[in-house]
Amino acid sequence: MRHAAHFARLVALVAVAVAGFLFVRSKVVPKDFGVKGHYRLSAIADEAKREPRHIGSADCADCHSEIYEAWSTGKHHIPQCENCHGPGLMHTKVVGEESTAAYPDKMLKVSKLAIRRPTGFTECKWCHLKTFERPSTLKSIASVEQHITQHNGKYTPDSKCVDCHNPHTTLVTPGKSGLAFLSQAAK
Amino acid sequence: MTTPQTSDDVTRRDFLETVAKTGGQSFLFGSMFVNTALLRLPQDAAPASAKAKADAEAGKGIIYGFVVDTTKCIGCGSCVRACRAENGVPDGYNRTWVEQYTFYPNGEVVVNSPVGGENGFAEPGPTRNMPAELATVQPVRGFFVPKLCNHCIDTPCIQVCPVGASFKTDEGVVLVDHERCVGCAYCVQACPFGSRYLNPDTMTADKCTWCYHRITKGKLPACVVSCPAEARIFGNVSDPTSKISQILATNRVQVLKSYLGTRPRTRYIGLDSEVI
Repeated sequence: MRHAAHFARLVALVAVAVAGFLFVRSKVVPKDFGVKGHYRLSAIADEAKREPRHIGSADCADCHSEIYEAWSTGKHHIPQCENCHGPGLMHTKVVGEESTAAYPDKMLKVSKLAIRRPTGFTECKWCHLKTFERPSTLKSIASVEQHITQHNGKYTPDSKCVDCHNPHTTLVTPGKSGLAFLSQAAK
Repeated sequence: MTTPQTSDDVTRRDFLETVAKTGGQSFLFGSMFVNTALLRLPQDAAPASAKAKADAEAGKGIIYGFVVDTTKCIGCGSCVRACRAENGVPDGYNRTWVEQYTFYPNGEVVVNSPVGGENGFAEPGPTRNMPAELATVQPVRGFFVPKLCNHCIDTPCIQVCPVGASFKTDEGVVLVDHERCVGCAYCVQACPFGSRYLNPDTMTADKCTWCYHRITKGKLPACVVSCPAEARIFGNVSDPTSKISQILATNRVQVLKSYLGTRPRTRYIGLDSEVI
């Protein structure tokens, strides 16, 4: 049996290769891989742990109760606060003087208070600019110029919707800016 | 010359006839099963065992579903902006987007989705991306179709992942494991709906998760919350009292590209045949 040594060497080599494979595999493949399927089970928890950035209008009311009241009882209660103002999570962190270091986020760069200040024009156009494909039941205008002229106003290229409309209620108070509520809030 | 007709002796004509008949019958018979399997909605599947029944009673049997009512969508793009902010979707990529379909008298259909509809849509005319000769023509019909990941039951994207980074949770949500993903983008190509993209920041595949981090905390997905037209409905389809179950029970719904047999969990109301 002069070939016995060859077999022994071959078996040893295969054994080493298998052991090496099993060792590397135990290190590389996560412990919970394949528990329920061909994936890492804790990936579900990883995905779920992210903090929601849109906090919801009800949470905005904790501080901005007056505006919330005007908005929620008015005609414009369907679009939420965060539709125009952007997500509120960073804002609550900044105002609450919590560290926002864990949020390397462009939302923080929007403003000092980490909340979007609407232009009072762009946001309105998103829904209320007349477009052929929109349902005709939606209140919409063909152009700002036409709308202002129709209501006997004076149109300038800087004219904004909030010059007349209160964005939270859509109401128009003759002779008053739509943003008059800002000065009231400051008092 | 005549051929004796005995039971053992089969002429060529008889043989071909029999083959065509049985072949056709078995094809029809088989396709009947295939079709019903494809058309079956996820909530139709009855609990298979006593254990499954017990799980359902313990609240484990949540199966999420999504309904898009295209008849209500006003094309404001709120969902696109909300999704971008909620999930930090990089500019130029979309987890959800809104398509605008415009039909012209000559039968042409123009589909637009500028930046996914994030900044709204322009009126038909020179400012819109469309053939110049149609710019002065009054369209006859038009609507918006919001799109997102269909969270298919038979997913092509999970099947092709070579590292097990794409998977489906028990609730039916298709997710990506960003730690395991090697960024080969095979799934991006496999998805017939264009729902996936390769995130340039992380270089991993990314997609709509139905805001998994929100729905597991009892909140609705960001696009659903922000929709001012109630065109997006999300909920537990295995609960017959949920809003989505009521809507599914009282509406006729359709899925995108049903012929591909991926069995999407995102259902559409008022889907037109031209929608691709």
